[in-house]
Amino acid sequence: MADPIVPPSPTAPAVPDVPEVPTGPYVYDYAASPQRQIVMPKTVPLPSYRTYVAEQKAAAEADEAKWKKMQADFELAKTKAEAEGKDAPKPPVRPVPRKDDNDLKTPWPLEAQDADLLRLQECLGAKVEEIFEQAGELTCQLEKGSILEALRLCRQDVQLNYEMLADQTATHYPAATGFAFSVVYHLTSISRRKRLRLRILVPEGFTPESACAIYPGANWMEREIFDMLGIRFANHPDMTRILCPEDWEGYPLRKDYPVVGLGQRDISFREDRGGMIERIALQKAGQLGINLKVPKAD
Amino acid sequence: MTLDSIALSRQQLDGDKMIINLGPSHPTTHGTLRIVLELEGETITKSTPEIGYLHRGVEKLGESLSYQQFSPLTDRLNYCSSIMNNVGYACAVEKLLGIEIPKRAQQIRVLMSELARIADHIVCVGVNAVDVGAFTAFLYLFKQRETAYDLFELATGQRLHTSFTRIGGLFRDIPEGFVPICERFLVECEAAVDECERLLTHNPIWHDRTKGIGAISPEDAINWGYTGPCLRAAGVPQDLRKAQPYLGYETYDFDIPIGTTGDVFDRYLVRIEEMRQSLRIVRQVLDRLEPGPVNVDDPKVALPSKEKVYTRMESLIHHFKLIMHGIEMPVGEIYSATEAANGELGFYLVSDGGKNPYRIRVRPPCLPIFSSFHDQVKGCLIADAVAVLGAMNIIAGELDR
Repeated sequence: MADPIVPPSPTAPAVPDVPEVPTGPYVYDYAASPQRQIVMPKTVPLPSYRTYVAEQKAAAEADEAKWKKMQADFELAKTKAEAEGKDAPKPPVRPVPRKDDNDLKTPWPLEAQDADLLRLQECLGAKVEEIFEQAGELTCQLEKGSILEALRLCRQDVQLNYEMLADQTATHYPAATGFAFSVVYHLTSISRRKRLRLRILVPEGFTPESACAIYPGANWMEREIFDMLGIRFANHPDMTRILCPEDWEGYPLRKDYPVVGLGQRDISFREDRGGMIERIALQKAGQLGINLKVPKAD
Repeated sequence: MTLDSIALSRQQLDGDKMIINLGPSHPTTHGTLRIVLELEGETITKSTPEIGYLHRGVEKLGESLSYQQFSPLTDRLNYCSSIMNNVGYACAVEKLLGIEIPKRAQQIRVLMSELARIADHIVCVGVNAVDVGAFTAFLYLFKQRETAYDLFELATGQRLHTSFTRIGGLFRDIPEGFVPICERFLVECEAAVDECERLLTHNPIWHDRTKGIGAISPEDAINWGYTGPCLRAAGVPQDLRKAQPYLGYETYDFDIPIGTTGDVFDRYLVRIEEMRQSLRIVRQVLDRLEPGPVNVDDPKVALPSKEKVYTRMESLIHHFKLIMHGIEMPVGEIYSATEAANGELGFYLVSDGGKNPYRIRVRPPCLPIFSSFHDQVKGCLIADAVAVLGAMNIIAGELDR
């Protein structure tokens, strides 16, 4: 048992010079927490018909080159074997790609066939960077400065007539070169029962035009994008944080922002790694004469 | 929200305007949100909603969880009808994977979604009535809500946070005693809805408090991004179950009720009628419920049954692979919208082919609706603001995520 506390004698110094630093195995180092470590993504998962076609072509070319090399190797081995008077080696067999009926048939980008996408390309010309369809969704990637023009066209053109901005959001792509974020607009046409996705790629520090003038509903969504990713929108009526407090530091949805740690209250007993809390509880219970230990059946 | 919106300092600046904080903890906010009202007499001249008190960082958390692990977080979005969030999220991931779930799973999803829609509308209508002073309707309806939650408990094991769906199907099939209880619920709920209508629809006090309050034109509603009952009350027949059918909704026979003025009374009427239509759909589902599996027969997506895991090597490997490495996702982005009780619940997923999603964006139905709050209550009285807030059905859980 601990010694009873002795009251300090009047001659002893009342306060020790150096404050005691709490040390011990139970102090959890939050900075070193594995959940606080940031793993930056290495790829840019931005679907695009052009890159898809390029990838497919590169894969086919690599396959062809491999096959050519196998044939060349075979010819070489054959002539060598003939020269040495040995048996000819077996001719190579071109490997057939494994086809399994159970494999998932995931949707990949297809060439744009839809009239809306073609109409957008026709009206905006070179400002449209790319159009494609994937999983029945229409996507149009635009030059970053012309988003307002495109939105106005979608809203007012009789053939397009996208009345509602269903959603507006952004994604951080730190691994990309030339841009850092994609801002995505999901438009809905109620009268024509169609959906369209407009996408712009913006670098760090670029301020896209706000869509508030055309779709008032964009107001809070743009504030949320600013709050979460730090993209400011030009000509927005109230570009302030919406979900986080106004003095919040950093932009939570960026990939360099840790999931755990920032802004979290550091509570020392969150993790009782060394069993300290249990020991203290047992000690306190012992002082009070309570038996916390559950008796075990023999 | 800037610091100068703090009530006291502004009140000191101009003496004739009174500034009132509605919330963050107020009985009518049903959650935690703050509205700074600027009053002249009792008339609202300006209202500044402040949200974010319930911000949990769901989208950020989703980036560190696997696709299946995100499902419980969707429960906490609209906690009044969590099954619809589960269904919406599962539909989004299945769209990204390009798979179709079995018929029985689709039907059970529709069944549970419609029950959840009824429960959600009961909360909205009942609580709206309580907020404007009619307490009785709330009690009549909440008995039915209790039964609906009992049905959820029977099927999923949980009342509120159901986590019922799995990617590629459901957590489990509905139990044996479910269908008879559900059939009894249909009869009782229909009677309770009629009773509620008798209490409210022709009640002159209810008319005085709700008619003409929060009226909105169809154009404005569309511009603000209204969806769900609030949009239909304004007179736009837009329902994703009809416009872009999912889960076989095109095979069910139901109507879309629409209002004319979009005020609180019309929203109430639309919700009441939607409950009846949901009951119709539930009845049709019960009639056509066909036997079969409730999960896709694909070991790369759905977990094999426990029996197989314990007896077959292959299934054990599939189980291990799915739990440890997750589903093999294609690289891509998808936006999937379903008709939740409040409106369009959208999930925007970006996948980089890894175990965890690269980005999850939840499009809550509340956010665009609530962003028009200032336009809705300008020139109204404080008591009207409370009625509008109730009819918008603001759920802070999905508003703040």
